[in-house]
Amino acid sequence: MSFLSNALGSWWLWGAFAAILPTAILLLYFLKLKRQPLEVPSTYLWTRTIEDLHVNSIWQRLRQSLLLFLQLLLILLVMFALLRPGWSGRALIGDRFIFLIDASASMAARDVKPNRLADAVKKAGEMIDAMQSGDVGMVISFTNAARVEQTFTSSRTKLKAALADIEQTDHTSDLSEALRAASGLANPGRTGNAEEGDVAVAEALPATLYLFTDGGFDNIPNFSLGNLEPSYTPIGVLDAETSNNVAVVAFNTSRNPERVEQTQAFGRLENYSAADVEVDVELLLNDSVIDAQRTKVPSQGQAGVQFELTDFEQGGLRLVVQHDDDLAVDNSGYAAVNSTRRARILLITPRNDALTLALGTDEAQKLAAVTQLGPEVLPSADVGAAALTEAQKNYQKAADSARYDLIIYDQCAPLEMPQSNTLFIGRAPPLESWQAGKMQSPPLVIDVDRSHPLMQMVSFENVTIIEGFSVKPPRGSAVLIDADIGPLFAIAPREGFEDAVMGFEIFSVDEKGEVLVNTDWLKRLSFPLFVKNVMEYLGGGRSAQRSTSVQPGEPITIRTDAPVDKLYITSPSGAVFPPISRERENTFLFGATDVTGLYEVREKPGRGEEVMQRFAVNLFSPRESDLRLRKTIELGAQEVSGEAGWAPARKEMWKWLLLAGLGVLLFEWYVYNRRVYL
Amino acid sequence: MSTSPSTPLLEPALLAQLERLELVSRKIFRGRMKGERRSKRKGQSVEFSDFRSYTPGDDLRFIDWNLYARLDKLFLKLFLEEEDLHFYVLLDASASMDFGDPTKLQYAKQLAAALGFIGLCRADRVRIEQIGPAQQTPGPVLRGRRSMWRMLDYLEQIEPGNNTPLVDGVKNFCLRNSGKGVVVLISDLMEKAGYESALRMLLAQQMDIYVIHLLSPEEIEPDIKGDLKLVDCEDADIAEITVSRPLLNRYKSTLAAFIEHAREFCTRRGMMYLMARTDVPVDRLVMNYLRQRGLVR
Repeated sequence: MSFLSNALGSWWLWGAFAAILPTAILLLYFLKLKRQPLEVPSTYLWTRTIEDLHVNSIWQRLRQSLLLFLQLLLILLVMFALLRPGWSGRALIGDRFIFLIDASASMAARDVKPNRLADAVKKAGEMIDAMQSGDVGMVISFTNAARVEQTFTSSRTKLKAALADIEQTDHTSDLSEALRAASGLANPGRTGNAEEGDVAVAEALPATLYLFTDGGFDNIPNFSLGNLEPSYTPIGVLDAETSNNVAVVAFNTSRNPERVEQTQAFGRLENYSAADVEVDVELLLNDSVIDAQRTKVPSQGQAGVQFELTDFEQGGLRLVVQHDDDLAVDNSGYAAVNSTRRARILLITPRNDALTLALGTDEAQKLAAVTQLGPEVLPSADVGAAALTEAQKNYQKAADSARYDLIIYDQCAPLEMPQSNTLFIGRAPPLESWQAGKMQSPPLVIDVDRSHPLMQMVSFENVTIIEGFSVKPPRGSAVLIDADIGPLFAIAPREGFEDAVMGFEIFSVDEKGEVLVNTDWLKRLSFPLFVKNVMEYLGGGRSAQRSTSVQPGEPITIRTDAPVDKLYITSPSGAVFPPISRERENTFLFGATDVTGLYEVREKPGRGEEVMQRFAVNLFSPRESDLRLRKTIELGAQEVSGEAGWAPARKEMWKWLLLAGLGVLLFEWYVYNRRVYL
Repeated sequence: MSTSPSTPLLEPALLAQLERLELVSRKIFRGRMKGERRSKRKGQSVEFSDFRSYTPGDDLRFIDWNLYARLDKLFLKLFLEEEDLHFYVLLDASASMDFGDPTKLQYAKQLAAALGFIGLCRADRVRIEQIGPAQQTPGPVLRGRRSMWRMLDYLEQIEPGNNTPLVDGVKNFCLRNSGKGVVVLISDLMEKAGYESALRMLLAQQMDIYVIHLLSPEEIEPDIKGDLKLVDCEDADIAEITVSRPLLNRYKSTLAAFIEHAREFCTRRGMMYLMARTDVPVDRLVMNYLRQRGLVR
């Protein structure tokens, strides 16, 4: 592309033009210079005046020719404009643009200065500046959710203001929602009409989708771009094979199974950099350091840290990696440890001495308060609400109001599922999703899932079961004991609760009413261990001594012991959110988990009130912590590679030259009329 | 450039004011005839000066007979003699004086007429001359109020264009008028050869010298623009200029230096200098400025 592009077409014409005009101006100027004679009384003073000026006469001459110079400058500007000087520049593709800006946690990385988000905003701003008049643009920021910062507008000021308003978040990233928002405008919905066929409800408007991201999200294979023309602008250091970042990818606490008074905190660190690093890891309890370790994390590998805490009941733990890396937000992990409370367990059984005994030990009493009732408290199917006994009414009320954390149905089953966790022994729950097989004898245990908390340390190796049936759990469940006849013990979630169903009885009653022992499990050591697991896991022991953690932006369900109307939540920075109201029986839903850290839950407003619970918000996302850029991203069937998104274009300045010429002309007019001489 | 000839040189109202004034000389000169002012000489007048002893030959009319009666000695009474004043107005009538509105020459004539009238009223010897060559007819000698019309007639017939160099004109004047007195030079002092030698010549006459430097407003603040060829009306000298703000500023500073030099030259030599603009009315010039300078009272 040449610098000059002659607007006159032929160089010969231009040369003639360039030669004649300045000459003509010079001639006209000298013609104009004929001085007007003027008779004066005496030239005495004038001669003396100009005598002094002759000293710097060259400058005087130049100054006197100001008008000539202005005219020559004007004609030079016009001639230069006619040459149409230009250079190879760049322009945006198309006339409708959607700017998708990633604001997820990884965009806070400082591998580009000052950080990736600022770089993205700067690059998007450059593109907005390059928009022609009449072009329209739209700004969407996305994390795990999308936010339309500015709808389609041709105002560059509004677009840039919207860009400036994008805030860095701690969220993970997910492009799909942003793409849906963008494509909703470029690919309007279509309606299927039997008479008219497939009709678009609005005119399809093609648009260019400028994506400013580091690619820290999953590919989106099931997406049709339609009219969208994607362009991916990678933000960060493009060719980096590694990234300078050490992250806490997991942090949790649990009771030491061997020493009950001890709590263990486990953390997992991951090193994404090219070299092994040795880092100091600090454990803070309520912002004061209580322990520290030095650990070595191999390059591209992981390392674990473990801390022992004695006599620790509750509080907020924070694990900090002292390492100066590109991303700060993942250098801390949080764990909220809430106080243990005794679980409330209801046992409904005709008679089960072994279970009663296991639930009645001193250790078990520490974990839970157990109420035992007979199966007669369960309402039967053929009785209306009016005919219920007092005991049945009480049971119904307790089951509906979630008074118990766990209800164990031994050799019996209710008509409706209660608002609590359940354990069914020898019966299937009254749900269509659970199906019981035929009673068979004897089932042979093949496998036990000992990784599940319910079956931890429970050995089934020499347990004999006389008869049992297979349970067919709903989707999303976990089979805990597999036998030759099918699943024998399974657990499945149900609206925030969990139901465990055991396909064999421990004691059974035959037709004659005699109590029979159905298994020798109750003689084994594993039985009381199992009961303890049940009390801890299903009986609300899950919340005790286990931390609750969600990722930023995810909602969290909070349960309270006592029924309260409102909860007051304090953010890690100390800001108090508006109180949240109860959703269902003692459950609260909280969604403003935008920043990582420890959140405090109070039942009464005010910082001085007792903290009832804590929960933690952690990034814990290898996708965000791994700061390497994606070279390409897959959007539907299309693979978009990282490029600047500019099309080459010739930039010309003749407009500005003509404007400057007009300015010179105005100045000349002013000088001529006002007789201003510099 | 010229004023309409119908304008009288002296307005009647001005005449009434001028009658009350008199010309003042800072030196006491000897006049040729008895006048209205005191002289250093003793003589015949009503103003007593001193006594002296009688010597034979003295005029008996001046013996103080009362004193002789008391002292029995003859004393002669001496009286101050009153003299006239020689008052000259030297008028520059060169072509450069024919500029301005009113022209500088017209203004100079009015001024000369006013000053001459004051002198005539006080019986001074008044002579108005224009600077010119030696062969030029000198102006008439005037005395007494009746001569006013002769003076005005003489002034009226003075025409601009008498481009004699100042020094020559003054030399001729000095040769013709050797006596002492008060001389008022009315000129624009625009002499390429310089006005200093002319003034020195006047000074040698031991006259009481007043220099009235006449400048028109057009000369003080020239209202010109563009590229100009300035032509001198006396010697057709040419100065090419392109008017610009700095040039005008420089002209003004040159003019100020010129005036300041003339003022300093005169003051150092005991001459009285007065710069007069032609846009200041003649009556105000006479009644205010010349009074302050002490030429009239």
